[in-house]
Amino acid sequence: MTDPQASSRNAVHPGSAFWRMQGIGKRYGGVVALEDVDFACAPGAIHAILGENGAGKSTLIKIAAGVVQPSAGKLVLDGAEVTFATPQAANSQGTVCIFQELSLMPDLSVADNICMAEPPCRWGLIDHREQRRRAEALLSRVGCEDVHPLELVKNLPLSRRQMVEIAKALGRNPRMLILDEATSALTAADVEKVYEILRDLRRQGMAILYISHRMHEIEELADTCSVFRNGRHIETFAKGARSDNEIVQLMIGREYTQIYPAKPVRETRPVPELEVSKLSWSNRLSEISLSVGKGEIVGLGGLDGQGQRELLLALFGVLRGVSGEVKIDGNKVRLSSPRFAKSDEIGVALIPEDRKSEGLLLPMSVRDNISMASIGRFTRGIFIDRQRQNAEIDEMARRLSIKVGDIDDPVATLSGGNQQKVVIAKWLMTDARIVLLNDPTRGIDVGTKQEIYQLLRDLADAGTAILLYTTDYDELIGCCDRVSIMYDGRIVRELTGDAINEENIVASALNLTLDGQAETAKPAGEPL
Amino acid sequence: MSVQTSMQAVLKSVDKPVAIAFVFILVMLLAGSLYSSSFLSANYLLQQLQVAAFLGIIASGVMLVILLGHIDLSIPWLVTVGGMMSTAAAGWWGPEWAIPFGVFCGLVFGLINGLGVAILRVPSMIFTLGINAVAQGVMVLHTGGFAPQDHATKLMHWLAVDRSLLGIPNAVFIWAIIGIAVVVLLKRTPLGRYIYAIGNQEAATFLSGVNTKAVLIACFAISGMCSAMAGVLLAGYSNKGYQAMGDPYLLPAIAAVVLGGTHILGGRGSYLGTVAGVILISLLQSILSVMQMPEAGRQIIYGCVIIAMLLVYGRGQKVQS
Repeated sequence: MTDPQASSRNAVHPGSAFWRMQGIGKRYGGVVALEDVDFACAPGAIHAILGENGAGKSTLIKIAAGVVQPSAGKLVLDGAEVTFATPQAANSQGTVCIFQELSLMPDLSVADNICMAEPPCRWGLIDHREQRRRAEALLSRVGCEDVHPLELVKNLPLSRRQMVEIAKALGRNPRMLILDEATSALTAADVEKVYEILRDLRRQGMAILYISHRMHEIEELADTCSVFRNGRHIETFAKGARSDNEIVQLMIGREYTQIYPAKPVRETRPVPELEVSKLSWSNRLSEISLSVGKGEIVGLGGLDGQGQRELLLALFGVLRGVSGEVKIDGNKVRLSSPRFAKSDEIGVALIPEDRKSEGLLLPMSVRDNISMASIGRFTRGIFIDRQRQNAEIDEMARRLSIKVGDIDDPVATLSGGNQQKVVIAKWLMTDARIVLLNDPTRGIDVGTKQEIYQLLRDLADAGTAILLYTTDYDELIGCCDRVSIMYDGRIVRELTGDAINEENIVASALNLTLDGQAETAKPAGEPL
Repeated sequence: MSVQTSMQAVLKSVDKPVAIAFVFILVMLLAGSLYSSSFLSANYLLQQLQVAAFLGIIASGVMLVILLGHIDLSIPWLVTVGGMMSTAAAGWWGPEWAIPFGVFCGLVFGLINGLGVAILRVPSMIFTLGINAVAQGVMVLHTGGFAPQDHATKLMHWLAVDRSLLGIPNAVFIWAIIGIAVVVLLKRTPLGRYIYAIGNQEAATFLSGVNTKAVLIACFAISGMCSAMAGVLLAGYSNKGYQAMGDPYLLPAIAAVVLGGTHILGGRGSYLGTVAGVILISLLQSILSVMQMPEAGRQIIYGCVIIAMLLVYGRGQKVQS
């Protein structure tokens, strides 16, 4: 603790820091998650924590929030050493954490959830009127007056739930608020609201620890940044002291090259592999027409929850009662089930939204997960031909450079980025000709994102048709040959070439038409 | 060194619950032998295996259902259906029809269970309980005023009681054949892989393009057949198919599967564990009755042992996850 380097690392707010970690370490069995971390937080500042998945950020905040105990070092609050045995203990000392996974109970009302920890009571019974008042006050503080306190949480869209989560945290009157990827589920408008709330809280003197994978958020919000890598605290610096490239280099510990692979230049439209016309479902999708060519990456954009997820599910045969026409390689097909969609004659694959509940079988081995969609190809009689199957799995794991100690370990032991690679590997094993992806890089570190972009481009170059829904505008711009923007269950705009820029994407997502956009961005629905 | 590492590899491949169950079996045998030396005689042990075989066959089927994260509460009356319909078929069409028809009836009820759970999406706990009651009603109708044949055929008796090879009871061979089939199914076939996958996360399995409905139906059908097969053997064992003959088998079968380390919510478990659980429960029942413990005391000890063992590894699993 006395070495000069360590003190210079914390040089930003040395006097004002009220909360510090000294020599904190954490081991899970033989795995070192954090090692000798010195780290401090000052009131009235937003402190961003940067690092790839597996850098130790999650462990850091879990220790700060009392979820896990450090194996070495100490926590110092206002000059006195403290230990948080439970999250409640941390809360009572003013440390409140909003975790990446939502902690709301779907079948309880918004007000019940907000007042979960300490419901207002009268005569030993919950005072519903007071609870509702308190929830209303907190909701208006986060700018969600439109959410009714008695609405059930399960009826709210994901982005609203996240705002309720923030309201719930504010209800505990924190001195230090920790947000772990709090905006990854939010729509652009809500992200702006969260920024405002956070700036407001900063003015009121709250210390805010902010974890995000989105660089522009950090630029916009943070006062101080700390970079972590492999469980170590690498550097802390004031905002603006380092360029983006330098920060990324600190995070990945190697030279940072161009993040998106080059797009191919095309003279003519490629032969369409997937053609959709007038696809409708319930009141969520209406008259969607779209085509994806062989070797093309088509992006789906727009605000969260405008029917993108439903469109991908419909094309994978999950939804019942879909009307309209789908042609694959020129042949009309009726997609009746995922089993049919993945069959050889169709060849559709879907990388689903939530890899933990929809993409993976967490307790099962990496090997079993990779083979899950393609076991049918490796049978001899009624038995699985394990030799042939294992050879192909090993080959696939190598191709995607999935970092795994033993391929028979449970997939739950892998980092988020590697888990996502397993989901992708599972579908590459089926030799799909059309790959649908639902936000595949959510919550994934920069290094793995880059590998996934390269992989998608390589697949496209090999002739695969790719339909990519992403909430990250940068990806639409960097990855996609064409972008279709959805609004309220319809495709409202199709952007190509230079028209794929942030301005057009945002405007179309809000269903606005900007001046001068007419020539490059044509309304969808016209003949292609 | 190499011996040590290979030992470690062997130990690693055996689940903790399975190891605990086998250790517990040994402890019970040793404790029993202090009471009476006949506990370690080959004859006593073979007799225990013979009794365990009936439970083992039922547990083989219900294990598949539990691995899916479901439950089959129709065991008692599907066992009865197997016993009563086989004897009746012998009376109607001749003794060669007895076993096939008994098992076939179990298959039919199992299929109905599977259809209800997979297609109608009724929770298995409710649906199989309903089917259990329906099966009971059908059996009451079957005997009401008709007096069908109720004594077992020679073949059924031979399979359930006789010992033909090396003095090993034939019932044990039947259990072994069914057991090996289940092991091969779980370890070597796509169906087995899908069973574990559905138990872990049905949505992810469905989105992998697996026909999850077919897997559910197949497992309930197999469970129904296993229960009926056990019923056929029980009828052979007591030479008679009679009402409620399967009643004592519901809880022991589920307890055996769970004591053997299969997770009650599905997705985890090995057949070796189920074998251990079946032997453990049969042995426990036998030792308690040999010691002439009164019925009330037997039930209390039996229940406490099940809870105690589940505490031992139920807690361990929670900490691990």
